[in-house]
Amino acid sequence: MMRKVILLLLLLCFTAHTRGKLHSPPAKPGLTSCRSPEKETFTCWWKPGSDGGLPTTHALYYRKESSETVYECPDYHTAGENSCFFNKNDTSIWVNYNITVVATNALGRAFSDPVEIDVVYIVKPNPPEKVTVTVMEDKGWPFLRVSWEPPHKADTRSGWITLIYELRVKLEEEIDWEMHLAGQQKMFNIFSLRSGGKYLVEVRCKPDHGFWSEWSSTSYIKVPDYFHREKSTWILITVFSTFTFLILMWLLHMNRHNLKHCILPPVPGPKIKGFDKQLLKNGKSNQIFSALVVPDFPPATSSNYEDFQVEYLEVYVRREQELVLEESKDLHNSCLKSESSTSDCDSGRGSCDSHTLLMAKCREAKEGERQTDRECSPMRTEAQRRLKDWEEEALNYAHAGIVSLEMSSGRVKTWPSVFSPLPRYSSSPLDQQSSLQMAKQLSLSTSSYLTQPGHSTKEALGQSYWDLCLSSKQPHLLNPPTPVCRELQAHSDVNISSIGHKRAPAGPRSPALHTTEYVEVQRVDNKDTLLLQPVVQGCGRMGGCFQMPHGEVYSKVKGVDSDNVLLLQREGMGEDRCPCVEQETNEVTGSCHKSCTVSTTQKPSGCIYTAVPVRDEMATMANGYVDTATMCTLHTC
Amino acid sequence: MPGNIRSVSFAWMVLVYLLFCSRRASVGAAPICANAQAGCHVLSLANLFDRVIQHSARTHSISNDLHSEFEQYFLPSKNHIGRVSRNCHTSSILTPNGKDNAQRMAREELTEVILKLLVAWRDPLWHFHQNMAHHHDFNNFSSNKALEMSDMVHELRKGVEKVAEKMQVLGIISNTVSSLASPEASLPSDSAEWRLMKDYNLLSCFRRDSNKVQNYLKILKCRIVPEHGC
Repeated sequence: MMRKVILLLLLLCFTAHTRGKLHSPPAKPGLTSCRSPEKETFTCWWKPGSDGGLPTTHALYYRKESSETVYECPDYHTAGENSCFFNKNDTSIWVNYNITVVATNALGRAFSDPVEIDVVYIVKPNPPEKVTVTVMEDKGWPFLRVSWEPPHKADTRSGWITLIYELRVKLEEEIDWEMHLAGQQKMFNIFSLRSGGKYLVEVRCKPDHGFWSEWSSTSYIKVPDYFHREKSTWILITVFSTFTFLILMWLLHMNRHNLKHCILPPVPGPKIKGFDKQLLKNGKSNQIFSALVVPDFPPATSSNYEDFQVEYLEVYVRREQELVLEESKDLHNSCLKSESSTSDCDSGRGSCDSHTLLMAKCREAKEGERQTDRECSPMRTEAQRRLKDWEEEALNYAHAGIVSLEMSSGRVKTWPSVFSPLPRYSSSPLDQQSSLQMAKQLSLSTSSYLTQPGHSTKEALGQSYWDLCLSSKQPHLLNPPTPVCRELQAHSDVNISSIGHKRAPAGPRSPALHTTEYVEVQRVDNKDTLLLQPVVQGCGRMGGCFQMPHGEVYSKVKGVDSDNVLLLQREGMGEDRCPCVEQETNEVTGSCHKSCTVSTTQKPSGCIYTAVPVRDEMATMANGYVDTATMCTLHTC
Repeated sequence: MPGNIRSVSFAWMVLVYLLFCSRRASVGAAPICANAQAGCHVLSLANLFDRVIQHSARTHSISNDLHSEFEQYFLPSKNHIGRVSRNCHTSSILTPNGKDNAQRMAREELTEVILKLLVAWRDPLWHFHQNMAHHHDFNNFSSNKALEMSDMVHELRKGVEKVAEKMQVLGIISNTVSSLASPEASLPSDSAEWRLMKDYNLLSCFRRDSNKVQNYLKILKCRIVPEHGC
């Protein structure tokens, strides 16, 4: 067994060893190409296959068209290895040659595939010769002139062969060539040269129907510099553009004022009398508002207090459903500024819009402007309108001395108060004002109902409502973020020019949009503080609410007697309110109260509001309203 | 009424007269300037040669296109080259197969050879075109080319005849060129052969013959008027 295996292995090794040494007939050779350089001779090259281990010879046989005679290659050596050269005598043009190569060795022969050629179609000439490149000049601009000659073997002179030429050019540092077809001419011009560049030029040729020759040897040429020509042009352009630029600048300079007005229109300055612009630009908020306050305004010393009695009532409505009444534009400004939502609508306005103006003058104007500006002055105009109505009706009411005084002037004015965010502001003017001016601190704010169309109907009743926003003299009651101005609703009778209701800023104001809040005067304490009880509708947060007797919502102040007692008169209003009164100092038990205290400035003569037995009367005069004007007139401070 | 008839007839006569005059003028405007008459623009021989050579170049180019197209679409295999027998019907015309032979040939002979070739190809090409038009294998472009080829050969023949005429007039060649005789008479025995040729064969033969014509014309030109482009 082992023996057989060994024998087998030996046999295999032997066969493998002798495989390399086996002789075989040669492989089939192949004709690679035949070429004729001038259409008079041609050469064929072949590639031999494997020789099979034995010396192999190759032979080329050819047959001409329409002849069966087989000829062998006449020349194997002229053209090199594995080639056959046909000279002139053996070359016939327009005759098909059938060429075969045969490889022969001791064991056999191999025939290549026959190839049929016509010499006319295998012409590949030699490259052009004597390529010369020169630089010539045409009106100052240089160009290259390339000239060459056809290959010396190609007979173009007799017309036997026609060659067309092609040349290529490139700069030394470039990669891509620029090709130019020159046709049958032997000369070519190249323009658009780069000054100072070094160019490479090559030429090749091709017969009518044949192959392109190889590229001729490269010719180098250097173009001289003609930089000054280009430079002068650039200098001219630069100078021209500089001149143009200078002229434009000069024109702009001459018209700079016009341009300035055009591009940056001047900002209109504030049109406020007594307004200190500088302070506004420089100062902080405290200073700003102090700047807004003109020290000697309103003139306090020499004026008759009676003149400062409620002269006119200016009511204007803000967007945020608050109505700010101000006595002066300063206050108005401050008030507006404290409310972020409102804008300064006073700039650019006519004199009618100024707060300092008497309402009487502008009443007619306001009528017309009623609908125009809803932002700042709608409520104001309405209030003014209402005040007008009040004035008219006030005349019908005879209140001793009180109304006449105020109404005679035909003006109604409530002194606005300072808003809560400005405690400082609140303190200073208060010191200077008379007791009547306590009403100044009552800022009236109308609720949104003023914007409601239904409000006009109320107006027709001769009554109008507006909310008073009172701020207390006591700073601690002021809550800067939320305005202390509670919505107070004041029902005014016709003869009451302004009614102020106070309500302690006990909590955040409930945004009763369409409801009006009523305040009843609770009492006046020793500090000349008018304690009002706001009657709040929907007193959810509060304790027990007591239902007001329906129909008895408002009471009006009948008068103040000599003892400085407020005489309040109950009056049915038909409003369905659930009064919920809350009181700070809880003297009323079992009821929720809210009281808003307004402190009055201490006047020398003092507008003293003595403590009226308001309590008792309050019980009957819930939702009563107090005519501050009346009160103010009483003190004759 | 008679006035109207007279005017109308007069206008009519004027029209007719004008027509006749224009016809006569057109006929008279194209005189054959064979004898270098006065007022006739004479083309130089070199110019004539250039035109004829351009014409022959165009003919050869078209035949080359047709041949390669034929080869590409109808005979895809390469083996046909060996099998196709080149039995061109013009093989009986003795044409020089080399430069020396061509240069050794006399001008008259060369001119005659050219003319013979051109004459021999007039009918076959015409019939070839007819065949192509009927065969829907060829597209219209090839059919147009065949027609153009046939027309161009016809024009080329006329042009070469003119050149020969000119040369004879100029005394460059003798008057032995007898190509103006009936074309069929010169090749009586070949009349049937071309009908046997197949289309591809015909195209191959014509391609070669058009090349010959072009080459011979160039040789003639560079021999007779060598100033331009030789």
